[in-house]
Formats: sequence, C-alpha cells, structure tokens
Amino acid sequence: MSIQSIPYYPPTNGIYPDTSLLDALKLMLEKHINHVPLRDVDGKFSGIVSTQSILSELIPASARVEHGLSDLKFAGDSAQLLSSRLHDLERRTVGEIAKINVPVLDADCPILEAALLLSQSTSPLPVIGKDGILLGMLSRRTLLTYLMQQAEL
Amino acid sequence: MHGAASTAQLFLGLSPLAVSLTVFVLTYAAIVTEKINRSIVALLGAGLMIFSGVLQQSEAVAGIDFNTISLLTGMMVLVAITQKSGVFQYVAVSVAKWVKADPWGLLVMLSVITAVFSALLDNVTTVLLVVPVALLITDSLRVSPYPYLFSIIFASNIGGTTTLIGDPPNIMIGSAVGLTFSDFVVNLAPVAAVIFILTLITIYLIWGRKMRASPEDRAQVMAFDARAAITDPRLLKQSLTVIGVVIAGFVMAHHIGQEPGTIAMFGAALLLLLRVFGKDSEEQSHETHRTWAEVEWVTIFFFVGLFVVVAGVEKGGALDLLAGKLLELTGGDFPTTAITILWVSAIFSAVVDNIPFVATMIPVIQKMGAVFGAEQLRTLWWALALGACLGGNGSLVGASANLVVAGFAERAGQPIRFLPFILLAFPLMLASIAVSSIYLYLRYL
Repeated sequence: MSIQSIPYYPPTNGIYPDTSLLDALKLMLEKHINHVPLRDVDGKFSGIVSTQSILSELIPASARVEHGLSDLKFAGDSAQLLSSRLHDLERRTVGEIAKINVPVLDADCPILEAALLLSQSTSPLPVIGKDGILLGMLSRRTLLTYLMQQAEL
Repeated sequence: MHGAASTAQLFLGLSPLAVSLTVFVLTYAAIVTEKINRSIVALLGAGLMIFSGVLQQSEAVAGIDFNTISLLTGMMVLVAITQKSGVFQYVAVSVAKWVKADPWGLLVMLSVITAVFSALLDNVTTVLLVVPVALLITDSLRVSPYPYLFSIIFASNIGGTTTLIGDPPNIMIGSAVGLTFSDFVVNLAPVAAVIFILTLITIYLIWGRKMRASPEDRAQVMAFDARAAITDPRLLKQSLTVIGVVIAGFVMAHHIGQEPGTIAMFGAALLLLLRVFGKDSEEQSHETHRTWAEVEWVTIFFFVGLFVVVAGVEKGGALDLLAGKLLELTGGDFPTTAITILWVSAIFSAVVDNIPFVATMIPVIQKMGAVFGAEQLRTLWWALALGACLGGNGSLVGASANLVVAGFAERAGQPIRFLPFILLAFPLMLASIAVSSIYLYLRYL
C-alpha cells in the first residue's frame, strides 16, 4: 500500500515563488497552517515556506546569523522595528526564503517509508507526481489519523 | 640525536641556507594562497625544518616564543568567559543611549569602544562583539551600516596598535625584545590617537554630514535597556575584576619582574577557578572543557609552527643576509632604515598576513643591533609595530578582524565589497603611515 490511499492536502492555490511574503503569511494564518508549498507556473514543486521562516525574517539579521547576538532582551519590545519589518514583507517574495532542499514523497511512496521520513522531518512533506508536479502535502497528523482509522482505534 | 644542522650539507647535499629558505618560501607561499588552513601549513613547515636537519627538535622548541603563546591563550580564555556576561553589549547600548541615538554620535562612540576594547583584547573578538550590536542599532535607526562597519574596522586596527596586548605583532615584538606595556602606550598611543581622530574626521566628511535618523527611530533605540544586556551579573563582577588585575599586572610587569604570558595564563586560570568554584566535578569538567574549546587553537598552532619555521630560516642564515641587504639598501642610514621599515611593513601588512611578516622581521631587526645602538633599535621596533598594525587597514585581507567584519556583514545581508573598501581604505591607511612617519621623525629621528 502506498500514500496514494491517504487523503493528503491538495496544493494550496495561488502560492508561487513571486507571491509576496505578506500574502503567504496571511494565507497561513487564515488557514491555521504553518507550512505552504510553492509551485511554479507549470505546477512543479518549488520549495516550502513556513511561519517559522517568515518569523525569522522579522528578527534583525544581527541576531539571526552565526556569531550574532544570542540575546535581545535589552532591545525591549521594539514594536516599531517589528512592524516596519512586517510591512517590508509586502515587497519581498516567498521565492527569496523558500526551503528547496527538502525530502519529498513520491506519489507511490510506501506508507512505512513515508512514516520514516515524516518522523525525521519538522514539517509536512510535499507529495510529488510525475515530472516533479506537486500533488499535495502529507503531514504527520494526516498519516497518523489514517493509520488509526485503518487499525480501527 | 646527531647535530644534523652542524654539517655543511643537508638534504640532497644542499646547504642549510638553501634548505631553510626553500621550506620558508614554500610555507609562506602556501599561507598566502590560503588553499590549506594556515595552522596545518605552519606545522608542516616546522616539521620539514626539523626533518631536513636544519633544526634539532630542541632548537625548534627553543624557537617557540611561549610568552606570546601563553599571552594569546590566556587572553582568549579571559575574553571567552567575560563575553558571556553580556558586558560588551551593555557598553555598546549604553554609549548609543548616551549620545541620544544620534547617528554620527553613535558612529564615534562605537568606534571609540572598539578602539579601547581592541587595545586591551584581541581585535577579532572585539569586532565579533561590537558588530552585531552595531548592526542591530543601525537597523533600528534605519541608517546604512557601511560607515559604521568601515569605522569599526579602522578603529580595531588603530586601537590594537596602542598597547602590548592589542595586536599580535605587538605581542611578538614586545616579547622578543622585552618592551613593556607602558613602553607601547607611551610611544604609540599618541600617534594612534591622532590617526584615530583624523580617520573620524575623514569619515565625517564622507558620510557623517549626511547621517540622519527620525525621532521615532531614535526613540526606539533610546528605549533599549542596557542593563538587560547583562546576562550574568556575578560573572560580570568576577571577569571584570580578574581582567582589571591582569591589566594592572601587564602595566607593572617590568617592575615585578614577571612576563605578560605568565600574568595572562594565571589570570585565565583564576577566572576559571571562580567560575567552577562550588560546582561538582562533572559540572566543573563540563565548564572547563567548554572554556578551553573556545581558545582559537588554529591560531595558537599557527604561531607554534611559524616560530619554528622562522627559527629554521634564521639558523640557516637567510635572515642575516636579509638584514644585510636591507642595510645596504638604506645605506646604513638610521632615519632611512626606520622610515623604510615603516612603509614596507605597512604595504606588506595591507596585502598579506602581518604575523608571518613580523615574525620574520623581528630577527632581521635584531641583527641590525650590530649597526645601530639600543635607542635607535627601539625606534625600529616602533616603526615595525606601527607599519604592521596600521597597514592592516589597507584592505579587507589586511587583518583578521577586517575579514571577520566582512564575513559578518555578508551573512547579515550588508556585504562589504573588496574594491569599494580598498578604494577608500588604502589611501586612508597610507595617510596614517604618513602621519606615523612625521611622528617618528619628530620624536626619534
């Protein structure tokens, strides 16, 4: 049996590499999801963007990078800085920060292999069909729900 | 062990001069190309000096300046522990608020604290601590960070010039020749202060006049809480006390008949003791391992290997020849020799690592003692120190601290390009050497 029998999430509409980060963030907050896959104009998988990666972009670079500041308590709320950086998200695209080198699941991936990869991943994994076409995303919750139903638990 | 170097011919029938010079040139060429980590290159070169028979192992060990090694190691431990307290961030935020987050005032104060820290600690650690806070503040003020990074680079090299411990060339010169902490301050701080002011004036004329930040952005920085930057008040008290004692020790070293290396290592061990006191053996082991892991062993072993390579080339006689050639070139004229050493050191230090250059020049200048008196020789040391330290401002590769700033800036999305930097930095460095020439002339020549 492969993951084809599992009802994974279909691809999210309208998120392409040139979609603004702000739009991607609004979509994720609206749909209560933390990860969204990108696809190019041909429907091929182009990476994943997450609320974590967008939140990182709000943090000043001096704290994000290696040997950077490890503590920002002294900077207080810095509400203005955060607000200004949120506004900047409108001018930036998801393609700039999307994670491309992620493990992917083939459409006919066996369920145990999918379970292994998901257990090692911190995010849902993209399901890729022929020619790299994005078919959807499979999350741990979806897989576990399916397994529970199969086991009649 | 037979004294292989005492024979006239060594490896393949070549003379010690030929063998040592070959190993020396190959080692230095490999260091310059940076294709292999320099500590590996230096140790391989050191090994070849011994295996080829130029040096016996005992001579190689004798050639290692353990005063320099222990001073560097001790200071690295002291800084590694102290920085965990957040004191550097505290100082940077405090000075930013002191000048009311005015962009130009901020540049001046960040440069001043960089220069002061660089005089007392190593330049690389100083910039690693100052640059992140500087970038955060410039981010908050929405001003370009480039003038600040440029100024921090210059301030670290100028500040490092002023004391025995500020820059590795000074540590090596002071150790080899017996110059004290006070000697460096009295002889080099005046000209370094003048160069620092002139550098700030230049930066003001280029960038400072146009620096602006909105009242709202400045208010944001004014809202920073400097005291919240102190993550460990107990550690802060302990480390500042020990560093204070160590620096006092450096100042008094000559009077108490002790070497800076011993003082630094003792201070490091003392601070480590304070850190682990009362902890169980597992915690002690963990803390001690973690602290020792923060020593830049790559740098330490680079020095070890380098000292042996230089000892080899000195034993082979090449440095006698070099000293002779240099005197021939300058006609044995003292002022000409001093100014030549100053300018050649500066130009070399702008393009290659100044540490191997200084390591080689120390025995060369020592050999000039046969021609020049003790007082005149001291002037040559100041010329070497000024040239080697200030020359580092000439390009991004001129000093390790420059590369660290550039690397950080690149990762933070604010790259410093090699050519734009050098277009301003190199002429500014030459100007600082011109000022140093005038200083040497007026004071010593």
